[in-house]
Amino acid sequence: MTDLLALISRHGYILVAAVVFAESIGLPVPAALALVAAGAAVAAHVLRAPVLLPLALAAMVLGDCLLFLAGKYSGWALLGFLCKVSANPETCILRSAESFYKRGRMTLVIAKFIPGVNTMGPPLAGSMKMPFRQFLRFDTAGAALYVLAYFGLGYLGRNFLKAIGQTFQSAGHTVEEVLLIAVAGYIAYRIWLLRKNRIYRVVPRIQVQELVQKLASEEAGRILVVDVRSHGYYNAEAARIKGSIRIEPNNLEEELKRLPRDKDVYLYCT
Amino acid sequence: MLREKGFNAFILVGGLAAWRKAGQPLEIVPREDLVKLPTFS
Repeated sequence: MTDLLALISRHGYILVAAVVFAESIGLPVPAALALVAAGAAVAAHVLRAPVLLPLALAAMVLGDCLLFLAGKYSGWALLGFLCKVSANPETCILRSAESFYKRGRMTLVIAKFIPGVNTMGPPLAGSMKMPFRQFLRFDTAGAALYVLAYFGLGYLGRNFLKAIGQTFQSAGHTVEEVLLIAVAGYIAYRIWLLRKNRIYRVVPRIQVQELVQKLASEEAGRILVVDVRSHGYYNAEAARIKGSIRIEPNNLEEELKRLPRDKDVYLYCT
Repeated sequence: MLREKGFNAFILVGGLAAWRKAGQPLEIVPREDLVKLPTFS
């Protein structure tokens, strides 16, 4: 925290605005921490609130607007891309859209405080065709709440933050050790996951040219090409392999009942 | 899961992207197959 405060006192407004903007377009940077440090810097008379607050707010709203427009003009493609990092990419778009629709436009006001949702909110609003003026109104309210909350935390808790900073410095080695253990644990988890999923490698794979040859041969009648994507089915101009059928991967048990058992099934996704 | 249920299933390597890259034929997804997501408009 003391390092961040020193950095902010040197590079001031530009640094805070850049960090806030970066976070609002989905980059993994700590905007909340930058705003807390900026609040402390204002309390210490290093920065000025009338300059900092509008700048931070504008940076956040600008980033959100870019994601909103990207969502609006890319249909569901941007959201599909963002959903790739979610726990279940196939259900991510559908669940996010339904949840957003159910909770209504006010979601945008509190979305900033919910990790994950903060980045999803603006492109989701764009993809769901929310009018831009309406989006701007709700998003600005949410951004103002977010900026003021963390700025206020830093401003009011300046002395407390100093104490935290000193404690962190003295406990630096412990923090490093904890981080190392966490990284080692994560690597071990990924290795375990890789070994666990080896079972899926037993499913035979086929190259495109091989399938094309089969489709051109007498075998064609025994072949069923099946699209198991979810993401490809949200935009009207979406394309799929000619002659393929779709099964909904989120409803596999039911979908399998209508698949013919006398055919070889060739599955594909994105 | 398909193989567990007795289907003779295979996976197309590279998926739709590889198919498209190889210049193989595509079709527009039929309107009735599209998933309707809620919108605010």
